[in-house]
Amino acid sequence: MLLVNINTKVPVRIQRRPFESRFIESFSWTKSQDSLILIVKVEHSDFSFDYFNMEDPLQLIVDLSQSKEESREVRNIIIDPGHGGLESGARGKFGAQEKDITLPISLKLKAIIERNLALRVFLTRDKDVSMSLDNRVAMANNNKADLFISIHANSSFRKNAMGSETFFLSMDATDEEARRLAYLENSSDELEDRIEGENEDEIKMILWDMAQAAYLQQSSQLAEYIQRELNLLLSTHNRGIKQAPFKVLTGVACPAVLVEVAFLSNPVEEKKLLTETFQTKVAQAIYRGLVNFIRLYGQE
Amino acid sequence: MLLFIVLIIVYIRIGRKEKIKQEQVSLPPEIAQSSEEQPEKKKIVLFYLSEKDAFLHPEVREIYAYPSVAQEAKKTVEELLKESQNGNLSPIPPQTKLRELFLTRKGVAYVDFSKDFQVSHPSGSAAEILTIYSVVNSLTYNFKSIKKVFILIEGAEKETLGGHVNLNKPFLPQYSLIAK
Repeated sequence: MLLVNINTKVPVRIQRRPFESRFIESFSWTKSQDSLILIVKVEHSDFSFDYFNMEDPLQLIVDLSQSKEESREVRNIIIDPGHGGLESGARGKFGAQEKDITLPISLKLKAIIERNLALRVFLTRDKDVSMSLDNRVAMANNNKADLFISIHANSSFRKNAMGSETFFLSMDATDEEARRLAYLENSSDELEDRIEGENEDEIKMILWDMAQAAYLQQSSQLAEYIQRELNLLLSTHNRGIKQAPFKVLTGVACPAVLVEVAFLSNPVEEKKLLTETFQTKVAQAIYRGLVNFIRLYGQE
Repeated sequence: MLLFIVLIIVYIRIGRKEKIKQEQVSLPPEIAQSSEEQPEKKKIVLFYLSEKDAFLHPEVREIYAYPSVAQEAKKTVEELLKESQNGNLSPIPPQTKLRELFLTRKGVAYVDFSKDFQVSHPSGSAAEILTIYSVVNSLTYNFKSIKKVFILIEGAEKETLGGHVNLNKPFLPQYSLIAK
């Protein structure tokens, strides 16, 4: 709600005109002794305003604008099944390949989201094909992804390494600041405008290269929500949320995480990863983490 | 330890007189000062993996002191490519060779490994992270002038190590990965 107090001793007659706005719910006037109060009810709590008045005739101009954060509503989710085709990723002792684990989990996650939420879900691959990391990022950004979740299965030199962990991008402190500033200067509208042109691949790549810097905080929250659910549902050893310089997360222009479901290098976990029950559980856990995040994200 | 002094003897004949000129092209160079003096050694810390936890474990080694950081850095990586002396795990595929190591003025060490570093790597996020930071930390921890490490494979820049960790950028050290 916005209250504007106008000091005026001039008698005013209030006229109303019908209006339509997705942003303003209603507005009304009240008169007090020597002032006039304009009450504007706004749909969202997060907005900014600016106003000025002009004399003769008296005009009050109020500029209301929705804060940028407020427009962030999750509509499109990109799920990225790690690896694929010739690039098989990590490999287990019994021969399980990372690419063959990430795909069914991703498909299950997509199905659960679509069953329960009115959101669009894209997969970076829906079959066993090679897909470059740049193309995965391009797919996310071109489809205006609001959330990006990359699904992987872990591997370690240690045989007994186990559990799930969720990553978000790490950046050099200096890099991060420079990139964040550069990104803010190229506002997201501009980013969208610029990526339309076909011959601007290079600009596109440069802009995308710094894209994730603006979303690190949300990405860490998303990672935390997902990790919490994975711990609850899987009762796997908690390896917590972590930061790493992962290529696939660098250019994504929305909150983005990489989930390492369990260790293929651990024979016990490898067996689990191959079962449909486990895969479904993982998809459900990630889904719950997502739902919690979306709820919070929309309210902020 | 055997010490070799390579002598290149150049005979130059000027007229009937014979002059003998000696040049020492000795490596390591500190030995050249006096063959009786013990060559100077330097303690370095290398980072290996342990079967116990997901951290990097320090291991102290000795290398010969060299006049340049680049030479010592090279020796350090070569030591890291050897097996652990404390029964720890190596984070680098055993066949891996160091092809070259050079430093830029801005403190970036370019470390060029043979292809085994990548093709024999098990891939996977956890493994890739530890491999990279065992190399990065082993260099930055021992040499103040090395600020960042850029990893090359067969002389070329690669996109990732095994599909996860980005190799298109130099790495800063990650001391939080070291066991306490």
